[in-house]
Amino acid sequence: MMVDKDKRKVKKDGKRSGKSVSDRNGIIVLKNLTKKFSENVVLDGISLTIEKGKTTVVIGPSGCGKTVLVKHLIMLLRPSSGEVYFKRRRIDNLDEKELNRVRTRFGFLFQGGALFDSLSVAENITFPIRQHFEIEDWSQVEELVKTKLAMVGLEGFQSFYPANLSGGQRKRVALARAIALNPEVVLYDEPTTGLDPIRADVINEIILKLQRELAVTSVVVTHDMTSAYKIADRIIMLHHGKIIADGNDEHIRNHPHPVVQQFINGQVNEDDLAVLRASGTIFQAQFLPRDFEE
Amino acid sequence: MIEIVGARTIAHVGNAGRFGRFVWQTMVASTRSCVTTRAYPLIWTQMNLIGVRSVPIIMITGAFVGMILGVQAYDQLASMGLEERLGVLINISVVKELGPVLAAVMLAGRVGGALTAELGTMNVTEQIDAVRSMGTDPIRYLVAPRVLACLLLTPALIIYADLLGILGGYFVGVVQFKINSWAYWSFSASGVELWDVVVGVIKGFFFGAAIAVISCYKGFTCKEGAHGVGQACTEAFVASFISILALDYALAVIFKAIYNTFWPVRSLV
Repeated sequence: MMVDKDKRKVKKDGKRSGKSVSDRNGIIVLKNLTKKFSENVVLDGISLTIEKGKTTVVIGPSGCGKTVLVKHLIMLLRPSSGEVYFKRRRIDNLDEKELNRVRTRFGFLFQGGALFDSLSVAENITFPIRQHFEIEDWSQVEELVKTKLAMVGLEGFQSFYPANLSGGQRKRVALARAIALNPEVVLYDEPTTGLDPIRADVINEIILKLQRELAVTSVVVTHDMTSAYKIADRIIMLHHGKIIADGNDEHIRNHPHPVVQQFINGQVNEDDLAVLRASGTIFQAQFLPRDFEE
Repeated sequence: MIEIVGARTIAHVGNAGRFGRFVWQTMVASTRSCVTTRAYPLIWTQMNLIGVRSVPIIMITGAFVGMILGVQAYDQLASMGLEERLGVLINISVVKELGPVLAAVMLAGRVGGALTAELGTMNVTEQIDAVRSMGTDPIRYLVAPRVLACLLLTPALIIYADLLGILGGYFVGVVQFKINSWAYWSFSASGVELWDVVVGVIKGFFFGAAIAVISCYKGFTCKEGAHGVGQACTEAFVASFISILALDYALAVIFKAIYNTFWPVRSLV
């Protein structure tokens, strides 16, 4: 009799130690996903199941394909090959019109917030509502904006414009917009990048709060390990377009792969150090005042 | 060598295909926007930005075109004793060719550049992806209102350019060179037909659509960074300018053929 090996690795408390769960538990399933830009292979045969109601964090060094991966979950990028399923429905072969219906069930927090400069905070948050619903009672919409802003701790900011907000405030407004349609899945692209540790922790708390209160499935792309350990039910590490580690925080902390250890501990590898040493010291590379004296 | 030529050919064919698809999607989205009342506020906003705010610069352009034509043509006509026919020459040139073309070139610079810069910035800051991620077609939301506004208001702006071009020519001819006012208008009225004005205005629809579609496409496909946006703006202006001239030539041939089919050939003077 065949036994699903993955299921045996699920711990009693519901947290998994490693490897992916079966497709049946997954709200999003990627099968052998490959993405090439010209000859450059960014994602190389990724197979992954995102569990419903859980927070999956994707980590990896800059340029390893984290953002490319998360953009494939709502087909902002089309795969070179492979399949993407949302709630068991294949979505990578849908046309844009059908995809737009699927996308309304997702929220996406972009790295820079991607707020519309010409619209106020309230208009940004109501954008998806105005696009998909005929609004008869604007007082309800105003109430909804107030509620969403309260969830991200920005009450009273309705009339502000993105240019008047700090980086952290923009991300929180973008998050309020991402959850405006009460999505089933929220995708976060580097939600804490560029923020000070306190603001970053505010974002972490909001992500946890959303998961608790709205039971959303979250996929977070980050290279902030503090954030990853705090919010993740599961951490996946990408390297050279492949998944090299997959498990809970404990599994990742004790992972034997040297690249994983270097990344989570923030250590430069020996090859890079050798290049730095070979390039000479900073002192040697600088001009000094005496170099210009006759 | 063959490899380089082949690669470039494939790249150009690919670009042409992408542009063709963009034009088709824009046409479909614009047609839908015309029958969707919810899209009207977006179109209205763009009409204000693209059309209303371009009126002063278009009027100035038109006025100088008429005045320069007057200054340049007066001596030639006066040497033949035909100075009273200056109005015909200026007005027919303005309403048929120079008014529409120079107004369109001015729009390509003012409006086309702004459209490319705006959409290019939205592209590099992921705002266009944000529109898509919320289940909205960015071509319908961002491109169609701009194209419709340009399409509808460029002919109107050309009328303004024509009007000021005619007044500029009148100022030079009658005020500066002391041509008899009655003769000036009389010859102008006999030489310029409604057809000439209509041809110029119809050209405006084509020029407006070309400027908007090219500028939006360049914005949508611009490369990352300030350099990418700047380069896209330059490419958009150059492509719009060449398109205006090419369209002007094609339309001149077509309208001439139509005119010659229905009316006999006439002399300007």
